[in-house]
Amino acid sequence: MIHLPIDTRMTIAITIGGFAILSAVLFWFMPRLTRHDLYFAVTVTPGFRDEPEGKSILRRYRLELIIFSGLAFIAFAAGVGWFGVGFASAGQFIELVASFIAFYLARQRVLPYAAPPTMIREAELHSQNRVIPGGWIAASGPFILLAACTGYLWIHRAQIDAGAGGQPNGLTVHALTVYLLSTAAILTGHTLVLYGLSHWVRPVYAGGPERVRELKFRRTVSAIVLGVEYCVTLRASWTMLVPRRGNLMTGALVPFVFVFLLVAIVMLARLGQGGSRILAKEQVSSTISTLPVGDRTPDCYWKLGIFYFNRDDSAVFVEKRFGLGYSLNFARPTAWIILLLILVAPLIPVFAHLTQFLPKLGV
Amino acid sequence: MLRIDLASRVSVYEQIANGLRAELVSGRFSPGEKLPTVRTLAINFGVHHNTVAEAYRQLANEGWLELKRHHGAIVRERDRPAVGPDTMDRFSQPLRELIAKGLADGLSPNSLAREMIEAARRLEGKASP
Repeated sequence: MIHLPIDTRMTIAITIGGFAILSAVLFWFMPRLTRHDLYFAVTVTPGFRDEPEGKSILRRYRLELIIFSGLAFIAFAAGVGWFGVGFASAGQFIELVASFIAFYLARQRVLPYAAPPTMIREAELHSQNRVIPGGWIAASGPFILLAACTGYLWIHRAQIDAGAGGQPNGLTVHALTVYLLSTAAILTGHTLVLYGLSHWVRPVYAGGPERVRELKFRRTVSAIVLGVEYCVTLRASWTMLVPRRGNLMTGALVPFVFVFLLVAIVMLARLGQGGSRILAKEQVSSTISTLPVGDRTPDCYWKLGIFYFNRDDSAVFVEKRFGLGYSLNFARPTAWIILLLILVAPLIPVFAHLTQFLPKLGV
Repeated sequence: MLRIDLASRVSVYEQIANGLRAELVSGRFSPGEKLPTVRTLAINFGVHHNTVAEAYRQLANEGWLELKRHHGAIVRERDRPAVGPDTMDRFSQPLRELIAKGLADGLSPNSLAREMIEAARRLEGKASP
């Protein structure tokens, strides 16, 4: 078990509380951040959200969100009281479940007003989309940094002792190997996401101003993913190379992640899902359909409004219906590989620790 | 821009093949140029990649494309084929059906004729600059 000083624990607890509040705030504003003809992950007529029924559903959703968030906070506070600060990490999960219940109930109320979306699909044959900021040179940066870090450790391997407490940074050769592999797997997962945002996303609009806004949104998401990659690499390099002083890294990293997340959310919220909030200023449409466009995915393929599963769709990434950014098409095997890399790779050191492969890993 | 209607009675691969053929006839793609990959087009249309591959195969059989493994679909130099005795017959039936639909929707025979001649001239004009 990792023993942390009380001030570090408090920092982590406060930051996780901040995450929970941020999540609740995001859920509060989310119905207004999605595309105009999507409401609580259901395709509706573009003006529905401003109609009395739409407004009434939103009011009830927000009221329920307050009630469920309040209950979640009570459960969180009680948990911390009974189980100690260690329970704080469950705070965000409780808040997420509470917000999801409010969303699910609102979605059920919107479903009777669902409108059939247009079945027209468009494709630009001559498009050259530069989605990744800085191109593949910028995207390869984290791998170069990690390789440089590995090279340095290899040169100084004589200083790393086979037992616990070797140098640098008190990590053993086993620990460093596992940690490097884990970081490389995380980076590979994120690079696949970057590639996917460039090649495996279906544009909702193939032309017109909507297309320009959509590309801007996609570039912003790519920039955030790239930022995450650099953060992961810098953290890994720090952990492996810089000698540990107390738990400086653990304490300092969590608030940094919180600020990064906050900036990313504000950036995306300003654009709106798929750049739809910029579109609100210029109501020019390139589509010829009179039916709602939505995100050009049929409602029936969205499970609970959040999981997209469509075998006939070759796209790996689709726009989230209730959220900012992109979701995976779980019918594609590539989606599962990406998910596995991103979710399981960070847990490799934990598994290694649990299986006694690394008896004193402590990272 | 290529547009298809998933709700149409015409099969999706036919719509894609028809749309691409119109692009090729109009000369928007020059010989040697690459078409988007099967996967890219399938993602853009939200259909299975086999559907797009079928459309590409049809155009390759007509002599418009050369399909190379790992290199995608490349536009071929294609001479105008000689008009055979049954060439016009193949077009008469679908053309009659299209005209009938236009008349049923209230368009006049003159406006339909004008539209068809203009469409043919537009394609022809771009095909032979």
